[in-house]
Amino acid sequence: MTDVLIKVGFVALAALNGAVIFTIMDVKGASWMQRRPGPLHVGLRGFIFPLAEILKFVQKEDIIPTDVDRPVFKWAPAYVVISAVALFAVVPLSPTLVVADLELGVFFALAISSLSTIGVLTAGWSSANKFSLMGGLRAAGQLIAYELPLILAVVGVVIQAETMSLVGIVEKQIEWGVPFAFSGQIVAFLIFMVAATAEMMRVPFDMPIGESELTMGFMTEYSGIRFLIFYISEYMSMFVLCAIASTLFLGGYHLPFLPVEWVNIYGPISLITKTVILGFILVAVRWSFPRFREDQLQSLAWKFLIPASLLNILVTAILKVVL
Amino acid sequence: MEEFLNQIKEDFKDVSNEFETILIKVDVKNWLSSHEALRDKYDLKFFSWLSAIDWDNDVAVGDAPKEQVTPSFEIVSCLSSVDNSNLVTISTTISKDESSIPSLTSIYVGANWHEREAFEMFGIEFLGHPNLIKLYLPDGYEGNPMLKSFELISREVKPWPGDVDVESMPGDSTEENTE
Amino acid sequence: MNTIDPQNFQTISEASVSVEIETEDMTLNIGPQHPSTHGVLRLVAKVDGEKVYNVEPVLGYMHRGYEKLAEVRTYPQITTLVNRIDWVAGFSNEIPFIAGAERLMEIEVPERAKQIRLILTEMARICSHFVFNGAYALEVGALTPIFYAMEDRERVLDLIESVTGGRFHPNFNRIGGVKPAAGSGPTTKKNIQDLPAGFYRDTKIAMDKVIEAADKFQNLIGGNEVFHKRTKNIGVLSKETAEAYGVSGPILRASGVKSDLRTQTDYLPYDKFDFEIPIGQNGDCYDRWDVRTREMIESAKIVLQAIEDMPSGPLQAKVPKVIKVPAGRTYVRAENPKGEMGYYIVSEGGLGPYRLKVRTASFSNVSILPVMLEGALLPDLIAIMGSLDFVLGDVDR
Repeated sequence: MTDVLIKVGFVALAALNGAVIFTIMDVKGASWMQRRPGPLHVGLRGFIFPLAEILKFVQKEDIIPTDVDRPVFKWAPAYVVISAVALFAVVPLSPTLVVADLELGVFFALAISSLSTIGVLTAGWSSANKFSLMGGLRAAGQLIAYELPLILAVVGVVIQAETMSLVGIVEKQIEWGVPFAFSGQIVAFLIFMVAATAEMMRVPFDMPIGESELTMGFMTEYSGIRFLIFYISEYMSMFVLCAIASTLFLGGYHLPFLPVEWVNIYGPISLITKTVILGFILVAVRWSFPRFREDQLQSLAWKFLIPASLLNILVTAILKVVL
Repeated sequence: MEEFLNQIKEDFKDVSNEFETILIKVDVKNWLSSHEALRDKYDLKFFSWLSAIDWDNDVAVGDAPKEQVTPSFEIVSCLSSVDNSNLVTISTTISKDESSIPSLTSIYVGANWHEREAFEMFGIEFLGHPNLIKLYLPDGYEGNPMLKSFELISREVKPWPGDVDVESMPGDSTEENTE
Repeated sequence: MNTIDPQNFQTISEASVSVEIETEDMTLNIGPQHPSTHGVLRLVAKVDGEKVYNVEPVLGYMHRGYEKLAEVRTYPQITTLVNRIDWVAGFSNEIPFIAGAERLMEIEVPERAKQIRLILTEMARICSHFVFNGAYALEVGALTPIFYAMEDRERVLDLIESVTGGRFHPNFNRIGGVKPAAGSGPTTKKNIQDLPAGFYRDTKIAMDKVIEAADKFQNLIGGNEVFHKRTKNIGVLSKETAEAYGVSGPILRASGVKSDLRTQTDYLPYDKFDFEIPIGQNGDCYDRWDVRTREMIESAKIVLQAIEDMPSGPLQAKVPKVIKVPAGRTYVRAENPKGEMGYYIVSEGGLGPYRLKVRTASFSNVSILPVMLEGALLPDLIAIMGSLDFVLGDVDR
């Protein structure tokens, strides 16, 4: 029983910390690129702003408009955050430091991450607001469209690693000596990163939020802590998807030329470093690019990413049989 | 510019060119045909604006005109060409009692909003306009604000603090401003 | 909904069910409070999903009644009023009005005053185009260029403030020239307040930075693939439609018409300087953005040439103490950053005009929205509205 409680506590702590790390990186990166001095210098070298933001949201009034569908409205943020937090359970910090080393680790991760679609769609529909509705519908289309490239890209890795367990995949990369990103899965890696950006609804794929058109899209009517939950869960899912990407493609907790006995020490550091590097690339893309239009987004997914990932699976399968 | 002016003088009777603005005065019955002629023959396809002037002796705002005028509306429209610098203003006069004039939307599509504004500000009816409803003023607003008889309520309540003293102040010379 | 009758077909493949899904168009109210409408513009849009079928703009949320207010004021008082019409480029609204009054009074403005007016007008144009660049990128989704645009604009606004004392509403023009004296009254000595010390050096630095910034925007925004996809071939406007609706300014030039009122005016000495007039080819949103960015560079070049040879002389011509404009009518137009701005002054010889008609650029520019937005998608609506670059003060007067 205490075992379970420790694991639950660890997952919650990891989720919150991951969100805070990525919030800091995103906003500091933004202000560095936009030449704003606030989050860079003000208040403890700028590190106090997550606290300020969280306090700001916590002390706001919880406004629920009259016409909304109350139970659906209240539960929508929960779906999104649950699906983000549950993913932290399968990410391995080292071969032994993992909350649940499932046989079907990858399958579990992808299945749980698609739960967030329900949350977004119900948030859009239940707010009695036409703009939220449009945001929710755009989100439904986008998230469903980009699930496929995400999954198909991972299938290539699974074929190459012959196992679905995340620890097993890292062990296979250690066996090969080269991370999968550089030993045949480079296309899958790029497809995964693009699809993950779309899953998180970040710019350039943030049509459902569409700040300059729909003023926060499906999240328009949320205020206070409910909005904070949406906001935090975006960073949580960003962290965990980058962590999964670095586990699948970049070798996870493994660093070469270091003795294996100390893996419990350098494992977490290695994983978090790789996650932060991937996250920084996402941050740089977010603040540089305009956003795609919804139909351009869909055609990118259906006409380009899915055929590319299917081709990747074909090539991987052929090479697996031949080599 | 000279050539253009001469050509216009041949086609229209009442043309004047004061202060670098050509003004053509036409009758109401020639309003549409003169615009068509200007658009087709003189290539003045750019519709700049259309508005009205309320000539009245009994004004509630500002100063009355210097000489006595017959109360009327003067509709002015301005056309120009984008390829050269030709510009004309055309005006016609209609009476205040039956203030209606044919609409220019059949010739220039852009006259739509200008005529709506003139309608709500002056009360002039434009015959044949597709959608003659208010443009700026909120629903339920009564009156036509730009008429000279329409008072500015705030001016009735309080005199204008920026009234320029036409007589000279004591101690100040009335000579012209030096450089 | 049709029901399926099993007797009517033999195999499943023959069953063709036509199900009528009842859809209605949704009436979406964009504005008056919306991040992208540049003010309080309200569009009542009938949308079907993402496609917009019909747009009706509702104006008047910012109607301040300029034409009526002008009838109770004197000419110098109207100058204060008038630079609030297009508040982004404040100085350029005063020029055609003052030029109209000077034309009716037949006053010759000294050369130095004309040149100062030209420099400040071009600086106002640069400021307006900076705002456009930053705000348009923001509407299309790029969240960074607006900060760069505002920062570079600050330098130019500082220059305008050092000369005139005001950033947005300078009220610097006087009938006959620009403001020559400050603090004139019985106790203080009248002194000529000319251009401040260091103006030449600061202007050179600022204009070089403007050209750098415009180049940077052309790379950062104009070279961006996603921006191309969002703006190319969106909202194409033909020359004939533009002329019929009275659309002017950069929008007209982006449709391929080489028409710039700066070459047609005589009250500002544009013919002394060497500049190009950028034109577009297709008349889509990208061309409108491109024309304005290139115009920024041209304006900076004009200012750099203008500060090199400043004629010396008085700053204001001799005018009587109490300004009474003789009877007459005139229409003066100018190339505002947003388009063609004109004033039709009907004067009866009084202290103020008998009738002042303000022809603003954005009023005519916004009137093409119902035509251009038919059949567009909702994100395209935002992109097209942003590319028209209107300000509500200009639309509603």
